[in-house]
Amino acid sequence: MKAKQLYNSTLLLKVIFTISVAVIFFIAAITYKHITTLKESSKWVEQSHEINMELERLMSYIKDAETGQRGYLLTKNEEYLKPYLTSKSLINNSYKRVSKLTSNSLIQKINLKHLLFLINKRHNYLSKTLYLVQTEPNYDHKVLNEYLHVGRLTMDSIRLKIEEMSSTQKKILQNRQLEYESSMNYTPLLIYLTLMVTLVLITIAFIKINRDVVKLSKTVNTLSVANEVSSLAEIVGGFGSWQHNFETNTYTFSDNEYRLLGCEPQSFEASIEEFIKFVHPDDLEYVMENVKNMALLATLPSFTYRVIRKNGEIRHFRTIGRAVKVSSGERTYIGTTSDVTEEIYAKNFIEERNRELESNNKELTAFNYIASHDLQEPLRKIETFLSRLISSDFSTLSKPGQQYVNSIQTSANRMRTLIDDLLQFSRTTKTEKSLEKVDFNLLLENAKVELNQIMETKNAVIESNNLPTLKVIPFQIQQLFINIIGNSLKYSKENTPPIIKINSSKIAANSDKSLPANNHNYYKITFEDNGIGFEQEYATKIFTLFNRLHNKNKYEGTGIGLAICKKIVENHNGFIFSKGVLNEGSMFSIYLPFE
Amino acid sequence: MMTEYITIYLADDDADDRLFFTDAFDELKINTKVSTFNDGVDLMNHLNDPDAILPNVLFLDLNMPKKNGLECLLEIKKNEKFNDIAIAIYSTSSTEEHIEETFINGANIYIKKPNDFETLKKILSEVVTINWQYHTSNLNKDNFLMRM
Repeated sequence: MKAKQLYNSTLLLKVIFTISVAVIFFIAAITYKHITTLKESSKWVEQSHEINMELERLMSYIKDAETGQRGYLLTKNEEYLKPYLTSKSLINNSYKRVSKLTSNSLIQKINLKHLLFLINKRHNYLSKTLYLVQTEPNYDHKVLNEYLHVGRLTMDSIRLKIEEMSSTQKKILQNRQLEYESSMNYTPLLIYLTLMVTLVLITIAFIKINRDVVKLSKTVNTLSVANEVSSLAEIVGGFGSWQHNFETNTYTFSDNEYRLLGCEPQSFEASIEEFIKFVHPDDLEYVMENVKNMALLATLPSFTYRVIRKNGEIRHFRTIGRAVKVSSGERTYIGTTSDVTEEIYAKNFIEERNRELESNNKELTAFNYIASHDLQEPLRKIETFLSRLISSDFSTLSKPGQQYVNSIQTSANRMRTLIDDLLQFSRTTKTEKSLEKVDFNLLLENAKVELNQIMETKNAVIESNNLPTLKVIPFQIQQLFINIIGNSLKYSKENTPPIIKINSSKIAANSDKSLPANNHNYYKITFEDNGIGFEQEYATKIFTLFNRLHNKNKYEGTGIGLAICKKIVENHNGFIFSKGVLNEGSMFSIYLPFE
Repeated sequence: MMTEYITIYLADDDADDRLFFTDAFDELKINTKVSTFNDGVDLMNHLNDPDAILPNVLFLDLNMPKKNGLECLLEIKKNEKFNDIAIAIYSTSSTEEHIEETFINGANIYIKKPNDFETLKKILSEVVTINWQYHTSNLNKDNFLMRM
């Protein structure tokens, strides 16, 4: 895992680069040393060679001197002495050169000293011999022989010494050669190994760079696609984007930012000064305040203002932004500007409609009050006066007069029922709702109590299985029961005691095709009766306000009861349906959602 | 012969209702002294008169000009002097809001004006003969609205 991380990091490339540079320096150093050693070694060879040559030359000078002297001794010809005379300076020069060449070797120095001694000794004997021959004509041959003998021995010693020196020089050279070779032996291997390691490292670096390049080109590809998408999105979504670099105090606007202002993309320099030229004069101060906030806040809350487009059109813009740190570490603000003109118009329109609705609602509430109070009051008085008239003066009225009074009373009663029902309908609103968990069995019992009188008169039977407990507005559901059962009781067959069957079951919305498809679960409660029923074509009409299927002389009613039922069920996000068969009965189904 | 009167006040802006009210008491054979007032201001002026005889039962219509029934109720309940007056709300409407509001503010009973004279007589005779002490100690939201 760590190795992989290392591989993926740019650190690896840096490490490889450093190592490679170090290796190159290392190889350069070794090569330099190598060449220097080579140069030195060839110098040594040359030097050794020169030493040998010089030694040989030295030897030959000595020999020349000896040969010359020997010639003179034999012939007494002065001509032979010439080489002997010149040899001294030649030998001296030669000796000096050898001494200089061998200055770096201690053994050779000692050898050389020894050689000098021998050369001097030889010279001495040569001089002695010459002196003897030239100054004493009758010289003792024995002495001469003695001198010659010592001279020859010294000569041998010199030869030996020179040979020794020569061989020493050879040995030194050999040693140096060995040293050089041994040092040269491991150098190529070292260079080779180091180069191999470097090669491996460079290969790894190459693979990595290659991969990075592939990755980079992929990223560049993705980025360019994303750029296209974003610029397309800006056009479709009607917004533009901008960036503000705090470090360099420069702005960048997207193409669509220009289009929003009605300009060609990048047609002017992106800067706040250029942008605010478009801002509506009345909103300029507000916009500048928000621009200032940009420097202080990490998130710029959205603000809405007007701009005047190039063609003079006024549009509403909304700008939002926030600070981000880009990878280079510079603080940058990014943001979007959207054209919200339509949104604002729509909002204004909705607000206008809301105000209208509110005033309509107020009128309706006022109407409710009129219905409940002002209409009831005159009616109540008509009824009260009528009741007094009947109780005190009815008997004194003529027959038709009595008839009229009765008709007035019937009409007044009907009007009261209408007003009461209408009031109940208008009060069946959501605003009054207070949801409570309530047992429907209890509500049914309450409804039965309310309907007690008519049930007794008609000998009605209500059969019900166990009803659920649901979270509802209790008095509305109770009213629902009263209205539905009351409806069944009212439209019962003459001479047949009404039987009302109430059933409940749990169902899912998608298992019942009369319900719209959703994920809610419902309680379905059905009320089935054996009354006069109705034709199926009226199944939805009966829930409309004031809608009646029968003449009011036959069955009294206001046409409001079932409309109230529909309203109650809808208040509970439920549904109500009816099914009727003429002269056989009707069935009402209500669906109430539960959690 | 000492005669015990029950003093009854009614504040109602409707002349017909005041007539039904006094007629009903006339026909009832109860010893009562009925006074009527045309609006809340009229009523409160009279009650605040130090020489006034305070009623045993006060009937208050809710919807009146100048000072409505609820305002009168609040004023009366603020003054300890009127602690012994039984207050009956006497209104055309019987909306939940009105019933709730007057109950909370200390009225003793709520009467919906009936729509025939016989019922009116029955209600009024019942109300004036209630044992108020007993009624008030057992008062709750359910028996506050008078049902006939």
